[in-house]
Amino acid sequence: MFPFIVPDRRRNADPLFWSTVFSAGLVLATAVIFSSYLFWESLPVWDQGLWAFLTSVEWDPGEDVYGAGAMIYGSLIVTSLALLFALPFALCGAITASEFLSPRARLVFKGAMETMAGAPGVVYGLLGAAMLSLWVKDFFGLIDGSTLFTAGILLGIMILPTIMTLAEDAIHSVPGEYRDTALSLGLTPLQAFFKAVAPRALPGIIGAVLLGLGRALGETIAVMLVIGGLDIIPMGLDLFSPGQNIPSKLGREAAEAIGSGMHWNALIALGAILFTGTMMLTAAGSWLLRRRAV
Amino acid sequence: MNKRMLDRGLLGIIYLIALVGMIMMLAVLWEVVRRGWPALSLEFLLQPSSNFGAEGGLLYQTLGTIILMAAAVLIGFPIAVGSALFQTEYVRSEGVRAFFRAIIFSLNAVPTILFGLAGYLFFGVYLETGVSWLTGALILAIMILPTIQASIQSSIECLPEKYREVGMSLGMTPWALARRIVLPQCWHGAITGALLGLARAAGETAAIMFTAAAFSGATWPRSFADPVPTLQTHILVLAQDSADATSLTHAWGAALVLLAIVFFLILTSLVIRSRFSMEAQR
Amino acid sequence: MNLSIKVFCRMTLTKNYGLNGVIVSLVFLASFSFGYFERGVKLSFAEEIETLRIVGSTTVAPIAARAAEMFSKKHSGIRIIVNGGGSGVGINAVGRGLAEIGLASREVTLKEKKRFENANLKDHAVGRDGVACAVSSEIFYAGVTELTRQQIANIYSGKIKSWKDLGGPDRPILVIDKEKHRGTRHVFMNYVFGNVNARARGARLVTGSNNEERSKISQSDSAVGMLSAAWLNGDVKGIALKQDGVSISPTEENIRSGKYPVIRDLLFITAGEPKGILKEFIDFVRGEGGRSIVLESGYVPIHSS
Repeated sequence: MFPFIVPDRRRNADPLFWSTVFSAGLVLATAVIFSSYLFWESLPVWDQGLWAFLTSVEWDPGEDVYGAGAMIYGSLIVTSLALLFALPFALCGAITASEFLSPRARLVFKGAMETMAGAPGVVYGLLGAAMLSLWVKDFFGLIDGSTLFTAGILLGIMILPTIMTLAEDAIHSVPGEYRDTALSLGLTPLQAFFKAVAPRALPGIIGAVLLGLGRALGETIAVMLVIGGLDIIPMGLDLFSPGQNIPSKLGREAAEAIGSGMHWNALIALGAILFTGTMMLTAAGSWLLRRRAV
Repeated sequence: MNKRMLDRGLLGIIYLIALVGMIMMLAVLWEVVRRGWPALSLEFLLQPSSNFGAEGGLLYQTLGTIILMAAAVLIGFPIAVGSALFQTEYVRSEGVRAFFRAIIFSLNAVPTILFGLAGYLFFGVYLETGVSWLTGALILAIMILPTIQASIQSSIECLPEKYREVGMSLGMTPWALARRIVLPQCWHGAITGALLGLARAAGETAAIMFTAAAFSGATWPRSFADPVPTLQTHILVLAQDSADATSLTHAWGAALVLLAIVFFLILTSLVIRSRFSMEAQR
Repeated sequence: MNLSIKVFCRMTLTKNYGLNGVIVSLVFLASFSFGYFERGVKLSFAEEIETLRIVGSTTVAPIAARAAEMFSKKHSGIRIIVNGGGSGVGINAVGRGLAEIGLASREVTLKEKKRFENANLKDHAVGRDGVACAVSSEIFYAGVTELTRQQIANIYSGKIKSWKDLGGPDRPILVIDKEKHRGTRHVFMNYVFGNVNARARGARLVTGSNNEERSKISQSDSAVGMLSAAWLNGDVKGIALKQDGVSISPTEENIRSGKYPVIRDLLFITAGEPKGILKEFIDFVRGEGGRSIVLESGYVPIHSS
């Protein structure tokens, strides 16, 4: 009946087989129910016009007017900032660890990075609210430190170890012969890296970056505490203006709207946009990371 | 010679940037430790908090975090084991496997706040578990399921083929195969997965902040319908009161405790993983 | 997080076409976890309320938390859990049956009444509070100690951007708004603009709880915000409101006598008339024991005026 399952008659009498089927079914059902719920609940909002919802900046639950423009803009800006900030550190760290550290030092380095990558978002949130936002305020002479810039930098620090260790893996998995050949041709170690190793590691590095971005896009708490919470698209490309991103909006308003009404539908619609975004990033990232192995 | 110089310079810059990155990470750690350390004392760890977190300690917050993460792993672990075994042992079509892999991967990529929203509506409202630790544990279980399953699955897939062939040639039943061969060889994958799952659950705030956590008055749960206080939400609330010195000290103290729990779990899993992956390579 | 990603990658590297099966028993653990779930559902249907869940306004929460502490000392076997979130959250929770008491620092809006028609929401006033227009102490001491309603409206709608226009230092104003559903905001906006949902186009920041608002005002040297009068302190000063040539500060006296124009009742909201232990608790808060708690929290007891 199911040709993809290993044919073995004994399995039908085996309750253990059925329990694994049950577990796998449960996982499948969770994924299906979850994603269909997101899109089903946001239907009423799409009905009112997808484009209007995506681009309008007005968000007023009192009048039942919903537009996701400010949140989408904020998400994009904050995530790009995080990337711009984290990328140089992450890449240089990855190159150093993979190419120029002794195996033992590399192991310690990797362990430290993987541990740091697991640090809870709320700890970063505390750092941001109690320290970073005050620094940003004083350093740039702003009237307040809760800005898109602060949120971007905080997220950048947060995803730095994730990108670093994944990129390091990508670089390290390039076989040693490439380096040896390049070195024997008289290239310096750095030239060998850029000419021979980097091109082969590139897909993996990009994959690492995309996965890090996926995490940055979905982070709620750290951003919520420092972004300012104002649903606007600032004039020009003003990074030192407060803003709002999707997870922070959800975190601040979900409890009030739970379960019913257009407000909830609009929040879930925001969630669906976020879901689509992270899913595309992670899918692309993991595809690239896997490709390097072949 | 000029080329060498340029090379040296470039390398220096790369080292420098890498160093700055490392220092930044260390500074994050250092700040949490430096500010959290003065708050820590035996009383702080063993007293319940009072007056909205401004006085007292962290007893029930720590307990709540541990209850939530333990319950999440208890619920998620068996399902992850079952689902992993189904995919590694029973599915033979590579397409179906890839499909399952994609499902697990997608679940892993979902922003946690969305699990909070959807899970709360499904468990809390639809199944009427309300704002309770049970709701939180169920949501966290779904959240950490991919982490656990991936770890188990990769360790099962690393099992050398000959082990199974030997087992089968001895006429072992599938159950005996599992108990005598797969489990002794792959338990470290399951343990690593469980530890990483615990760490992820312990560090998660967004998914539980309006589904499982209480701020004042809650102690240890007496029924499944009770919310619990947690370290994560405690820090979140105190962080919003960041102009108040005592609140802030308590927040840093709580952050240090939380960080210690999470780092301990991750480091243990790293040690177990590296030890056993080395053994497997031999 | 990233470890799990790496494990995924590794997983996809090793190809192993599994032979006939290996099986581990799960039935026990799986049924165990479902047993949990079953009992959880049953317990939340329990007839007898032993746990009171109180959710809502951060303004009212200190009263509820303190009262809960005292009340549960007298009545063993009852537990009262207090959570913040804001008035909107409290009303929503009690309307959906997720809490026994919702805390609100504003009246239930028509929209909310309509949505939770079946819940038959009843409110019980426990105290009275003023909403202050709060400024950073630097501004207060620099001479901005009173404002008219029109001036506040101009600040919040973005027409006045500098303290200089109000007799203060030459500094831009950090205008702090609150989340839309917050009780404090409803009351304040109703006073300033005559509309509880008024937009604040001049706002630079949106905060949530009283704590967050107060932190932001005190961290700045040029902020203005709306804050429950009980939260005012040395760093965050309440400005006097000027009406017809008379300025009235948000002091306890003025709030008690009703002279201060922006006052509101602090409400405990229940679904239907409270019964049993719920009634006892509300009576306790509204009675003698509760009075001292309300005073201690910085509010005005309801029956004294």
